Amino acid sequence: MKLIFVEFFKLKMKLRAWLGPILIFLLIIISFPLTVELSSEALNDVFYSILWIASLLTIMVSVESIFLEDYEDGYLEYFYVANNSLFSLIFTKILIYWILIGIPISCLGTFFSINMSDDISSLNIALPSLLISTYIFINLFALGNSLSLNKGSALGALITIPLLFPILILLGKIVLNANFGFEISNLLLLMLGVLLLIIVFIPFIISFIIKTHLE
Amino acid sequence: MSDSILLKVDSIGFSINQNRLFHNLSFNLKKGKALHIKGNNGSGKSSLIRILLGITPAGKGSILWNKNTDICFLGHKNVLKNYLTLSDNLYIHGIDSNESKTKDILADLGLIKRLDTIVGNLSYGQQKKLALIRIFLNQAKVIILDEPCVGLDDSTRILTTKFLSSELKKNKSIIYTSHIPIDIDSETITLGGNQV
Repeated sequence: MKLIFVEFFKLKMKLRAWLGPILIFLLIIISFPLTVELSSEALNDVFYSILWIASLLTIMVSVESIFLEDYEDGYLEYFYVANNSLFSLIFTKILIYWILIGIPISCLGTFFSINMSDDISSLNIALPSLLISTYIFINLFALGNSLSLNKGSALGALITIPLLFPILILLGKIVLNANFGFEISNLLLLMLGVLLLIIVFIPFIISFIIKTHLE
Repeated sequence: MSDSILLKVDSIGFSINQNRLFHNLSFNLKKGKALHIKGNNGSGKSSLIRILLGITPAGKGSILWNKNTDICFLGHKNVLKNYLTLSDNLYIHGIDSNESKTKDILADLGLIKRLDTIVGNLSYGQQKKLALIRIFLNQAKVIILDEPCVGLDDSTRILTTKFLSSELKKNKSIIYTSHIPIDIDSETITLGGNQV
């Protein structure tokens, strides 16, 4: 529990790391309708796509240096020596990023989607799908960044991008089903299942990769 | 392994890029004893410490720690967050800057009036002092230090030596590397070339 407080405190005190991405998200969502000439119906059709892509880019930017600072100042080494494992730290870090960045983005995205569609039922589509997808995105980008932790290479991005496609396709399917009035709960459950697998396995893989970097 | 031995190192070796730093190195660390790892730059002192800590795998041989041996480690990196204040940095290491013992140490190190200073604005020496507080307040059985006195002024070096001596009297064990002499009773391992 103490680890959660410490990691929350570390990120909370670094305003640029969490408020910056939220502002980027807001900027994309607000500026897009201003820069294209679309009817409200057409905009309504593409709005969810904008929402997914904005959240994807925001998470990508925010997670860019998720482990870098701890790696450079020796915190990862310190934690490993004290606990003989990095799993709990990685898991907590990802959770805190989701709490401070993923949840606000999800709430803002939901707010804008309700406003855009003038329909409160958008809440049922936008909020759960954003909450789940942002957590998945953070995990996947964290995996990518752990691969290129001390190299500054593009390897991480190259590996992460293909992993994101199934999630984006699934998000598209959710909107399609919702637009046709079909059930979306099964797709949300599928995403939740993917998330549960990711929550368990990705921190393990990342802790193994980071341990290799520390060697 | 007997209870008096905390660490048993048997025939370990280590090479970087086919350059053999040390081989067939064996030693024990006993309770209440200090071990000084000596050697020139690049002789493998820090690598040996990282091997002992389990961060870097040894090329061969075995390293056996006694069960429930907790370790407190200070390496080249100070594990400080430059964007946080001094007291916030203590907090993330689980140290309460309002406790009297912490305040005493902060006063001894001349940092008591800098509690609200951003660590990035402190000098290297002051940052090193702050990192040492974590060591001074630890409860671990083994203290491992890699060049702890670099960047410290004379008074802090004396304070560090006094602290380490008192820890030895409390039956704690210390492993350290230092080019700056630290006046405590210790056994010495010298690394250099292929000779141990």
